[in-house]
Amino acid sequence: MTRLSNHVRSSVGGKVVMALSGLGLVFYVVIHMLGNLQIFEGAPTLNGYAAFLRDMPILLWIVRAGLLSLVVLHIVLAIRLTVRNRRARPVAYAARKYRQASFASRTMAVSGLLLALFILFHLLHLTAGVIDPLAIDRLDVEGHRDVYGKIVRAFQNPFIVVLYVVGQVGLGLHLNHAVTSSLQTLGLEYAAFNHLFKAAGPTVALLVVLGNIVIVLAVFLGIVHG
Amino acid sequence: MRFTLNIWRQQGPNEQGRFVTYEARDVSPGMSFLEMLDSVNQGLIASGEEPVAFEQDCREGICGSCSLVINGIPHGPDRGITTCQLYMRRFSDRAVITIEPWRARAFPIIKDLVVDRRALDRIMQAGGYVSVNTGGAVDGNVLLIGKDRAETAMDAASCIGCGACVAACKNASAMLFVAAKVSHLALLPQGKPERTRRVSVMLEAMDQEGFGSCGNQSECEAVCPKNISVRFIAMLNREYLRAGVVESGLPAEPESPHAEST
Repeated sequence: MTRLSNHVRSSVGGKVVMALSGLGLVFYVVIHMLGNLQIFEGAPTLNGYAAFLRDMPILLWIVRAGLLSLVVLHIVLAIRLTVRNRRARPVAYAARKYRQASFASRTMAVSGLLLALFILFHLLHLTAGVIDPLAIDRLDVEGHRDVYGKIVRAFQNPFIVVLYVVGQVGLGLHLNHAVTSSLQTLGLEYAAFNHLFKAAGPTVALLVVLGNIVIVLAVFLGIVHG
Repeated sequence: MRFTLNIWRQQGPNEQGRFVTYEARDVSPGMSFLEMLDSVNQGLIASGEEPVAFEQDCREGICGSCSLVINGIPHGPDRGITTCQLYMRRFSDRAVITIEPWRARAFPIIKDLVVDRRALDRIMQAGGYVSVNTGGAVDGNVLLIGKDRAETAMDAASCIGCGACVAACKNASAMLFVAAKVSHLALLPQGKPERTRRVSVMLEAMDQEGFGSCGNQSECEAVCPKNISVRFIAMLNREYLRAGVVESGLPAEPESPHAEST
């Protein structure tokens, strides 16, 4: 047991926990995107899906608590590792050239911070309805919460659209390096699959960002309307 | 050829360092980078100034002594070579060249471009070895090792411990170095007895020396004079996860590697 707890406290152990918590969050983000795409099937489907989720309050709150603990774990470890990493090079280079480190990999802390701020905004906006008084839950004809109508009203506003698109760019940048890096941290490396592992990050990032932005733009351009 | 050199000068470990500009004149394109520095130093000695301190030894790319960050890249603009294998014909005439030491908390500067890389030795002392018993030597061909496995182990073993991976890493992490050493021995039957303990204590030593952690940017791989792949870092992570769950047998308390060396 001492061995295992020592391992979790070390730098590699911290990275493994970060990778696992990150992959858990990526899984949620993919499901979230797929669920939201049901907006293209019309109001009854999306509102029915939302009602289906709300009909299981215990499961819903377990998922919410799980997500919150994953986020907290991920952020705390990120801060701890970043502080350690910054301390490891007290004097910076005067001339610095990167040969193959991707832009995404060099900006993980910045894109992560951007992402955290966006998620906070997103929760206050569409989940709690604090930011936009228009974004409150009304009821549709079937007596379900009108999530469809809420989304359609919210993305009429160009400022909200810009904020969401910027947030998605931050998400894409973060995931681009995150997924592939997590697989490497978990020691997944096998000659025949390495190109798949390398492609995993950019692919997941692209699909999630496209899926989300399509919803926002479809509403803004009037393709999906109330 | 002639060059303008911006060289980091620092009198001692606790002194304030700064860049000083020197002119290198009459440089032959066939000179190695270190020979060019030699000729600059000859000029400095002749004019009564203190020559620039830099590390060098074999000058054929196998000792891992030379250690210069040239225009922002450890071992300079070419891949798969050490500084001593870099020739001045690689630079354009009248170029400005910035020369800095490896920069990492774990590599304190001793003087000018010379840094103390004993942190890597202490990581090796912690577990980068195999125990060889006394007695009659075992016949070399008794222990069979598959060709592929031997080649992979050799790829890892080609690490010369220069520390370019640390110098290039955004986090000044020694992961590629530790990965090469751990993978090399984990792949071979001779390394099996200490396999579980080795990875744990070497990574523990790396953390204690003040190196950062790996960000999987693969910048280390791109500057490694021996082209060691970051795939070995994945292998190191795998070894570490394995060690976390596998019992090593007797719960022996390993002596601290830092107690020995001080």
